[in-house]
Amino acid sequence: MFKHLNDWLDDRTGYRSIVRDTLDEPIPGGARWRYATGAAITSAFFMQLFTGLLLMFTYSPSTTTAWGSVFYVNDVMTAGWIVRGIHHFGSMTTIIMLVLHLVQVVFAAGYRAPREVNWWVGVALLVVTLGLGLTGYHLPWDQKGYWSTKVVTNIVSCTPFIGPYLQTLLVGGDEYGSQTLSRFFVIHAALLPGMLIVLLVVHLAFVRKLGPSSPGKANDTKFWPEKAFKNLVAAAIVVAIPVALTLWNRGAPLDAPADPSARDYPARPEWYFLSLYQMLKYFPGEREVVGTIFIPSGLLAVLILMPFFDRIFPRKLAHFVACSFVFGVTGGVGYLTYQAASADARDASFQNARRRANVEAKRSRELALAGIPPEGAGYLLSRDPLVHGRDVLERKCLGCHYYDGKGVISKDEHGKEVMSKQDAADLKGFGSRAWVRGLLEKPNSSTYFGNVPQCGGMERWKKSSKLTSAELDRVADFVALFAEVDPETSAVEWANDPKIAKHPGLEAFQKECGQCHVVGESGLISEGGVEDAPNLFGWGSNRWIARMIKKPGAPDMYGFLDPKEQMPSFAGQLTDDDVLTVVRYLRDDYPGAPRAERKEKAAEPAEPRK
Amino acid sequence: MISRRDLYRYLTMGLGGAIGFVLGAPGIAYLLDPILRRVSGGGGFVPLARLGELEVGVPRSFPVIRARRDAWVKYPPEPIGSVWLVRQPGEGAKTPVVAFTSECPHLGCAINLEADGKAFLCPCHTSKFALDGKPMNPVPPRGMDSLEVKLSSDSDPKISVRFERFRTMSREKTPLV
Ligand code: FES
Repeated sequence: MFKHLNDWLDDRTGYRSIVRDTLDEPIPGGARWRYATGAAITSAFFMQLFTGLLLMFTYSPSTTTAWGSVFYVNDVMTAGWIVRGIHHFGSMTTIIMLVLHLVQVVFAAGYRAPREVNWWVGVALLVVTLGLGLTGYHLPWDQKGYWSTKVVTNIVSCTPFIGPYLQTLLVGGDEYGSQTLSRFFVIHAALLPGMLIVLLVVHLAFVRKLGPSSPGKANDTKFWPEKAFKNLVAAAIVVAIPVALTLWNRGAPLDAPADPSARDYPARPEWYFLSLYQMLKYFPGEREVVGTIFIPSGLLAVLILMPFFDRIFPRKLAHFVACSFVFGVTGGVGYLTYQAASADARDASFQNARRRANVEAKRSRELALAGIPPEGAGYLLSRDPLVHGRDVLERKCLGCHYYDGKGVISKDEHGKEVMSKQDAADLKGFGSRAWVRGLLEKPNSSTYFGNVPQCGGMERWKKSSKLTSAELDRVADFVALFAEVDPETSAVEWANDPKIAKHPGLEAFQKECGQCHVVGESGLISEGGVEDAPNLFGWGSNRWIARMIKKPGAPDMYGFLDPKEQMPSFAGQLTDDDVLTVVRYLRDDYPGAPRAERKEKAAEPAEPRK
Repeated sequence: MISRRDLYRYLTMGLGGAIGFVLGAPGIAYLLDPILRRVSGGGGFVPLARLGELEVGVPRSFPVIRARRDAWVKYPPEPIGSVWLVRQPGEGAKTPVVAFTSECPHLGCAINLEADGKAFLCPCHTSKFALDGKPMNPVPPRGMDSLEVKLSSDSDPKISVRFERFRTMSREKTPLV
């Protein structure tokens, strides 16, 4: 049956003789290990093609979805991290193999006639592969890809004459955005691989036609099985390296989603482009284009012209020049790469920024497990109280306030660390029972209103207060409830809720606090009026704190103070997300918050990979 | 004693197998991920309407509004499907309301009501169902899929339905988990 089918197939295709010819093809000079680098590169290309194809099953090229899909592959899908890891580390392996192959070919003078054309095809393969590395780096739309590719496209714009047009074409406009990503995707996943396959086929066809550039001295052997085995060993090495790196690093890195507003992201290109990056440092300002465009294209030109060296110099000398050139460039690249890496290793501010970036990467991947908002992964962190809220607090609030006994820390002119002066309350736990109880105990502490003389009302109350400690406990219980008011509940509805109306702390509150404070409106809980004081309806809730940030001078807040003594309004300086995240940060209302009694709304998290 | 040639042959095949395995195994696991890692699709009760909104024997369609996970995206509550509710005759009947998912058991199109309101009709391949969900022509493999209904104990009870999806083109009603 099987034989029958095979016979039929052979009759129509003649596949048996094709296979036999391939297997029995004589290898001039015997099967040599050094021919195996070509096989290694071919296998590396196929490995990249295979894993790249797999990644395309999930990857989704748009600014809102790219990061999420890569995250999903990497952190959620079965074996996704292995597939992505092999693709990531496979790109480096391919490039290293290519360079080895190039050095080897130059060494064997394989660029010489009659192999010039194939040499150029090889150089083109190198350029295409570097292009693949460059464009692939961008696709996850994480901080790393975003910023370093931004640098690259700006470098492109330095090209004389056509630079700006080239950049606009590549970016798909003047701004980085949706068009950029889809363009890079098509270039990376269709255009360049297509070119690569064509070039590879041509290259291999030429190799077969012309034979290896330095045949060994042994007798010819057949392809099968010795040569096949040696090729396969090369392939195995090329597969083993990225697999080992993947397992060792537990997958490829993924930074936080691209954030165009990031202030200190330390952008670096992938390590095999670090030498170019380092070179920029030697060509500052106007001369930059020397390092970015002239030197790299000059090097490329030398590679292309290498076959003609023979016509200028005597043959031996030409080969010597070619070898020195290649070794010189490889050495130079190695030196610059080392310089760049060691400069970063010594640079404390780079290390700091990198550490912060790692924290943000970890946090965004944690948050993403609970689901990414449909508006895009960029909102993961910009709506995260822990990262963004904390950041807003430091930039906007800690100039006057403290948080947990600390202000902003900066360096004075001697490089000594100094902390900002505290002019207002410590906001840690603001709105919680503990904060209220502390305030009732010692209103003139610097944690509360000690540094805010215009808010001396609480201190004057304390001096004349007759409430016992047990009563104060109950008042604190009561006031801590205020923050829990539902935003859709009116003050009257709230005051009639038995939880409020029958609260054991109500009486003491009315007796003393209510002398000055009203809650909602006068007469509802208390009359107020003895001294000016803010309205306490919803005190400590998201709404109340947000209002305090945006309208501290409203009549129900601190409008009774002289405008100079009020807290400045931050309306217009902060977005809604800014305000909400800082409020939620103060209320410990976020996943992973320290205060346990604030219940987190449990989203159904995706199972992280084991 | 094996010859050098045979040694190469075995080593080559072994090595080829190893490479294939190292790349292929994760690749296959990755491709099979949707099967290997079934994500449960909720299946809890969703409130739809109040009993008072329904007239006996007049089917009405209500959207199922639910938060939804789609791979890496978490959508806020939004309509993810719809349900036909049919109020049954008789005060205090044991089943005052019957709920059908609007997903056609044939191939999953959304079932509509015929213009005269006397039967359900699927616009895709003309599956026709009576108001009690029984098939009225041989196109669909089974009747409309009924959903579990829960009524609250208010004076005007709230109707909730357990929203599920079922395998199409099969005689049996098998829930998709
Ligand atoms: S899907 Fe409804 S009739 Fe085919």
